[in-house]
Amino acid sequence: MSNRHTVLIIDDEEVVRDSCTHILKKGNYRIETAEDGEKGLKMVEDLKPDIVFVDLKMPGISGMEVLERLSKIDATIVSVVITGYATIDSAVEAIKRGAYDFLPKPFSADELRLIAQRAIEKRMLLLDAIALRQEKEMIRENLTSIISHELKSPLLAVQQNLFALSQGVMGEPNPAQKEALQRIENRVDALLKMINTWVDLTSLDFRQLRERFRPLDMPALISKVVDMLRVQAVSRDIEVVTHCPFPVAPVEGDEGTLLEVFMNIIGNAIKYSENGSRVSVKIEERDQELHILVSDRGIGIEKEDIPFIFDDFYRGRAQSRSSQVGSGLGLTISRRIMKAHDGSIAVESEPGKGSTFTVVLPKRTDKKGTDREPRVSKQSVM
Amino acid sequence: MDGKRILMIDDDPDYVSAIKMVLEKANYTVEVAHNPRDGFDALEHSAFDLVILDVMMGRGAEGIIAARKLRKKKELDKMPVLMMTGIREQTGFFFVGDPRHETYLPVDGFLEKPVAPDVLLREVSRLLEKSATDESMKKE
Repeated sequence: MSNRHTVLIIDDEEVVRDSCTHILKKGNYRIETAEDGEKGLKMVEDLKPDIVFVDLKMPGISGMEVLERLSKIDATIVSVVITGYATIDSAVEAIKRGAYDFLPKPFSADELRLIAQRAIEKRMLLLDAIALRQEKEMIRENLTSIISHELKSPLLAVQQNLFALSQGVMGEPNPAQKEALQRIENRVDALLKMINTWVDLTSLDFRQLRERFRPLDMPALISKVVDMLRVQAVSRDIEVVTHCPFPVAPVEGDEGTLLEVFMNIIGNAIKYSENGSRVSVKIEERDQELHILVSDRGIGIEKEDIPFIFDDFYRGRAQSRSSQVGSGLGLTISRRIMKAHDGSIAVESEPGKGSTFTVVLPKRTDKKGTDREPRVSKQSVM
Repeated sequence: MDGKRILMIDDDPDYVSAIKMVLEKANYTVEVAHNPRDGFDALEHSAFDLVILDVMMGRGAEGIIAARKLRKKKELDKMPVLMMTGIREQTGFFFVGDPRHETYLPVDGFLEKPVAPDVLLREVSRLLEKSATDESMKKE
């Protein structure tokens, strides 16, 4: 009995209520009726109907008001308005206000059955969609927390003990032992990095990201990144040179994630460069876009690898041969972040000669709001 | 800094022993509590110069609650607290920069696990020195 769908009919005409009940009785429905809006809405609370038929023209509160209050009680209840041909305009209006369909009077038994059937299907889809969304969210949250804690804890204990061993806390290891320990540390470190990146990737919520957009000066952001990577570059005698026509138009974005994108791309350029070489970062304005080109004279990317480098966990063959270990996720995250900014990342590369990554971001347009507008009001609109 | 007493509150004994070895080799005295309750017990019964605190213990971010509780206790609110954790910043993505929020995490230092032994020792002695300076300034 529990899979029987509940239909509520709110109409002041007894003949309509009776005929609807009569027609739908043969289907697998539980049917309840109310003769006015107030009574109908009261019934909705306890009945929790799947669909509600509402007459638009009734004494007391109007059908439109019933629709509005209905959606406040439970937005997943599917409503259908019953209306005479003379009020077809108001049926259209009702649909604009969230009614799913309308039933013109007079109607045939088949018409009613069909509309009821369609409305039930719509209701089921709505409920399924909500359930799936909740499930997806739950899986995402659980998986992320399981991975970040359960999987990382043992690795952290392993790594911390390895550190103690290799630093000679329990007696100085001989050179061969030291080398083996270093190899183990490197692999554990790569695994930890991969887990961290994966956690970051799954916890990125792009809808939230847009809410954090604000005007950004790219040259300032890039120089921040170059500053953060200085130690890494200096230790291998790599020079990072930034070229920028000053000043450039601002872009609209989230500073934190864009920092991550450039940490990734410029960091990669440094990582895969020959010692003592140069990484160049160029910022150019082209029409409505800002292009940021990051070039290195490093190992480059094999032609057949290029289509895959933005895929999850993909690591080029050149990389797997080199001593550099990455998570294989940095570019995936970067690409997703760029997508959320309506931007893009592309790459050109020649193996053995180097690579150029081009990041494109749209310039900030006026219609997104100007600096004169207070940010608070902009947020409240969204 | 010889003989300074450190209390480590962390639920993973394998992790703890690796840290303990490093600290003891540097002549610190280390006591361990595997949950915040035992930690507060230890703090009540003997004197320490520094607390090293894990975040994820048991069912959730108990370390954060413990840090706040510690700050509320009058006799302990000057105790330097070094938070050491494997979790990333709670708010979502950000890994660039300092992951500590002053209001969110009332701690003096923050290190992400795993910690290189020299980084750990440097941070511990920095916090102990800072606390000693604060103390002597108060006396003057």
